[in-house]
Amino acid sequence: MNTFLKTGPHGTAHPETAPPQIGLSQPRPDAAAKIRGTEKFTIDLPGKDDLWAGVKRAGIPHARLISIDTEKARALPGVAAVLTHQDIQGSNRQGVVRQDQPVLVDDRIRHCGDALALVVARDKTALGKALSLITFEAEVLPGIFSIEEALAEGAPVLHPDHETGNILLAGALTQGQGLDAFKACAWEVTISLTVPVQEHVCLETECGRAIFKDNRLFITASTQTPFRDRNETAQALGLSQDRVQVTAPFLGGGFGGKDGITVQTLLGLAALACPGKHVAMVWDREESFIASPKRHRANLSYRLGLLADGSFHALEARADFDTGPYDHLGGVVLALGLEHAGGPYAIPHTHIEGRAVYTNNPVGGAFRGFGVPQVTAAMEQVVDLAAKRVNLSPMEIRLKNCLTRGQKAPAGNTLARSTGIRECLAAVAAHPLWQGAGAWLKKAPAHTLRGCGLACAMHGMGFGPVVPDVAHAKLELTAQGRFRVYCGVSDMGQGNAATFLHIAGDLLCQPIDNIDLILPDTDQTLPCGSSSASRTTFTFAHALTRAAATLKERIVRRAADSLMVDDPEEFTLVPGELRHLTSGRAFPLAVMAGFMNPDERMAVSRYRAPTARDHVTDNKALKMHGVPHAIFSYTVHFARVEIDTLTGGIRVDRYLAATDCGRLINPALVEQQMHGAIAQGLGYALFEDFLTEGGQTLTRDLSTYIIPGALDLPPMELISVATREQDGPFGMKGVGEVGIDAPLACVANAVADACGKRPGTWPLTRVRMLALLKEKP
Amino acid sequence: MKLEFTLNSAKVTVETAPDRRLIDLLREDLGLTGTKEGCGTGECGACTIRVQGETKLACLMLAAQVQGCDVVTIEGLDPAGHHPVQEAFTGSGAVQCGFCTPGMIMSLSTYLAAHPDPAPEKIREAVSGNLCRCTGYQKIVDAGLAAARALKEAHRG
Amino acid sequence: MADVLFPVSLDQALDLLAKTEAPAVLAGGTDLLVQVRQGKKTPGIFVSLDRIEGAQEILETETEIIIRAGAPLARIMAHPAIRDHGSVLAQALAVLGSPQIRNMGTLGGNIMTASPAGDSLPPLYALDARVQLAGPEGFRRMPVRDFIQGPGKTALAPGEILWQANFTKPAPGTCHWFEKVGQRTALSISMVSLAALFRPDPDGRVSKVSLAWGSVGPTIVESPETETFLLNKPLTREVLAGAGDLARQAVRPISDIRATADFRRQVAGNLLMRLETPAKGKRLTRY
Repeated sequence: MNTFLKTGPHGTAHPETAPPQIGLSQPRPDAAAKIRGTEKFTIDLPGKDDLWAGVKRAGIPHARLISIDTEKARALPGVAAVLTHQDIQGSNRQGVVRQDQPVLVDDRIRHCGDALALVVARDKTALGKALSLITFEAEVLPGIFSIEEALAEGAPVLHPDHETGNILLAGALTQGQGLDAFKACAWEVTISLTVPVQEHVCLETECGRAIFKDNRLFITASTQTPFRDRNETAQALGLSQDRVQVTAPFLGGGFGGKDGITVQTLLGLAALACPGKHVAMVWDREESFIASPKRHRANLSYRLGLLADGSFHALEARADFDTGPYDHLGGVVLALGLEHAGGPYAIPHTHIEGRAVYTNNPVGGAFRGFGVPQVTAAMEQVVDLAAKRVNLSPMEIRLKNCLTRGQKAPAGNTLARSTGIRECLAAVAAHPLWQGAGAWLKKAPAHTLRGCGLACAMHGMGFGPVVPDVAHAKLELTAQGRFRVYCGVSDMGQGNAATFLHIAGDLLCQPIDNIDLILPDTDQTLPCGSSSASRTTFTFAHALTRAAATLKERIVRRAADSLMVDDPEEFTLVPGELRHLTSGRAFPLAVMAGFMNPDERMAVSRYRAPTARDHVTDNKALKMHGVPHAIFSYTVHFARVEIDTLTGGIRVDRYLAATDCGRLINPALVEQQMHGAIAQGLGYALFEDFLTEGGQTLTRDLSTYIIPGALDLPPMELISVATREQDGPFGMKGVGEVGIDAPLACVANAVADACGKRPGTWPLTRVRMLALLKEKP
Repeated sequence: MKLEFTLNSAKVTVETAPDRRLIDLLREDLGLTGTKEGCGTGECGACTIRVQGETKLACLMLAAQVQGCDVVTIEGLDPAGHHPVQEAFTGSGAVQCGFCTPGMIMSLSTYLAAHPDPAPEKIREAVSGNLCRCTGYQKIVDAGLAAARALKEAHRG
Repeated sequence: MADVLFPVSLDQALDLLAKTEAPAVLAGGTDLLVQVRQGKKTPGIFVSLDRIEGAQEILETETEIIIRAGAPLARIMAHPAIRDHGSVLAQALAVLGSPQIRNMGTLGGNIMTASPAGDSLPPLYALDARVQLAGPEGFRRMPVRDFIQGPGKTALAPGEILWQANFTKPAPGTCHWFEKVGQRTALSISMVSLAALFRPDPDGRVSKVSLAWGSVGPTIVESPETETFLLNKPLTREVLAGAGDLARQAVRPISDIRATADFRRQVAGNLLMRLETPAKGKRLTRY
């Protein structure tokens, strides 16, 4: 176990001219342009002569579209095109699993953010005016605005062609004796709660730019999924894939919000209508809030049974997710939630059941954590309730029941790989914050209550057993003797691109200054899957490692052959050159490149991440949606909170997280991921309440949808429990999501410690906290 | 109207509509895209610039308002990126997606110029008008403290 | 396209207001330009206060503090005279918006927005501030509580400009207290706020109590009953609890996207509990 390097100027130990080393913090090369304001994000690309595209949105949650009147908009000076579903040649459908979302509505309006018509205009003023001139006729249908309404007898059916009605996907995972095992339990504890919709609030809103020329469609977008976008756009618009190119510059935030189509198909359609012209589209904050997918609201109901000695014996977990009107990734979110519903505990008998349900609320989709923050909110609270019942401390009950390597997780999959949850617990227990908790609790000022909370989480990495979790790396020695990494997976801010340079630099013994980076481009880079699922670095780094080995060997072999040296071991790469160790002669890489033909200077490699083979369910649909996983990261969080009894304010005073995400490639970047995930998790717990009424979004801006600012978040301390994942590149595991799974539960347990109560509805805003304090225990 | 002002130490004359938003003038007409728009309503701070030495929000200003003023954007703070706050952002790992970064740096550099010895809490206050969705602010506070130390040393040296 | 004009004198500004179609007075712009963006206002012309001589001044006389409408909030809260004599206002401005908003926003703008959540208003009510309006016919004055007529509504007549707010310096030894309860610490709109001025006598009993609540009614709420109840009593927990009950009766909150009426009523009373202090003649520090 090693704690993170304490922050300081990470650069000092490793000047930019030296090759980076795995395991040591390294400043991000992308910071150089970002701190100067010169990095061009997608939103910065539109030029003065660009046309601007915008969308007429439904504004009503459920209706049958009868007609759209675009006459007046078309007649407006400065309007280049007004397009409806009739102008679409392809399937007019998009979606990751079920393609059930229209690009432009052709029949049914299913949420307020549905796109009805697309306008392309000379400038933003004309665009705005034209959009306001479009009218439509529709037969309003009764709407469904909650999970309960969707499941009610006689509820309107959102997708008549879907076999299971308003249930997008349902499934159950049963292990051991399932519910029968409760008969043997000495104790039972239960909890029910609702966790809210959460909006990503990427600071760069959804945006893109496209042009149709030379019979091809070129799209640049702020996207986590350039390759999937290419396929979806081609299909929706009726083009062959080779006629579509998608590029993804650095994103101004993603977090899952750009996992899938946002502007891409619309921009493609606009560009097709105005050949030879660049067309730009930028959603403003309000449009982003209304139209983009969010974290699913979930209703959770848990029952945990224990034996007399306090060991977990049986779990019943029910989790229903409001997926909004379209599949997007709702089924996959449900599946991941169900798999993780029992947390990192050994529970021999489980029955875990859930549904993802269609409603006319905003679309539910991918958001960092992907179903796991929801279920962890319930599981970790029920664990604390159990601790109280059997008179163990929250730490004792977790140490007693946490998983060890080789055991089966609650979903029934065997944990054959690195499993550091116990060590994370031990690290927290040994930390001064934990040790000093008792003293701190006693010093609560007037009108405040203090409490401490603990929560665990585990998070699976990758796409699960069916969808290939594949990345292709491409690495080139350029004619100039530089290396070039072709990265096909988006960097939404998490720094995977920086990590790829770090890895290439380490393996090739080159300073990062000698390595160029090609960001995702479906023409130049190779398919790498999405930037998501805590798999981005894991999968690509493997492919890159293999490509680096191949290229290195080619360079060395070439030198060995030309010098008639038998043993390639006599050569080594050093910064800027290849050195022959035996003679001491050095060959500049530019010279080496000259010996080699372009094909030889390019290495390509593919890697597919390991998958779990456990048969945990007969439900093929559930399995197809990604159950179970093989590799997990683990985390244990500890929070001190103070409740102001006069105003209901909850101040998180200090926060500690101990994490097993394997070995660290660049500790500074791992810290960044943990900090950011905790911040979003605390926002989810205390601030962020995406409100809708009758499908209409009430929180339409950043003054009503509240994300935490610098004064709202505590100092955070991190501990790394660096197990070595045997299949991980350099022993690492994914860290993008695990940090967001536990904060809500951690705060819940701390609040309960302070006041003895647990709210049924989250987030725990001041209003809810004050009301909770008034409730009778 | 003819608008004349000092932008990043250079005199600028542009023809513009007087009620054009300053952020649009900077980004679209003058190509200075380092000033970001995250909300358009003054809530996120991504468009923070310096006008007459004070931080202001370019999304809530009209072009005409900077007539004759001294305006500094992120591009003009130190074009080479060597301002101590910029270097501290890189060194302390305060940059993730980078979209809030220019606004953060404008706020912090302005604050530190007037407050050379800030407590961590004061740095949080200094960037309390700049929302960040990536970092949890921890490393931004670290960067602020590191920059304050560097500025002090530079001053001494 | 709307022109933006920069009169350099008050007379010139009044003249422009009289002569132009649908003029909007532009001060800091932090509220106005958001309303324009939302389509709630479509000014034909902007008349900026930026360059009017004296429009940003903060003046101190022997008995009075005068703040001109165009004075930026950041400058007001940092001004020594305000810190000494109007701390309640400085405390409120310190938690208004964000550093950038405080550099741009003006006192005049905050008053003119006339929001029940306007952070400067409870302090101005508690300080018994008056406003001075400039019009074609000259100046007129009135208490700020008469000037504010409802949410977004003031007594300003067409063609007039809010020129300044002024208040009498509170007697030495007065305690100043402001607390805002928002959804987050900075960049927040108040759910409830309380401005309080009171003077503890040497024995701990208080005289001169002045209280004003924000966001608990269509305009700022004052409660003479609560003030009278507190007069000549020590601010013990029991006394303040009693005052809190009266305050809860006095407020007229609504439920909206930020808070329920019930929360606002409860907290309006609860905030008085913070006044429990042995402080004699000292300003309370903010919680």
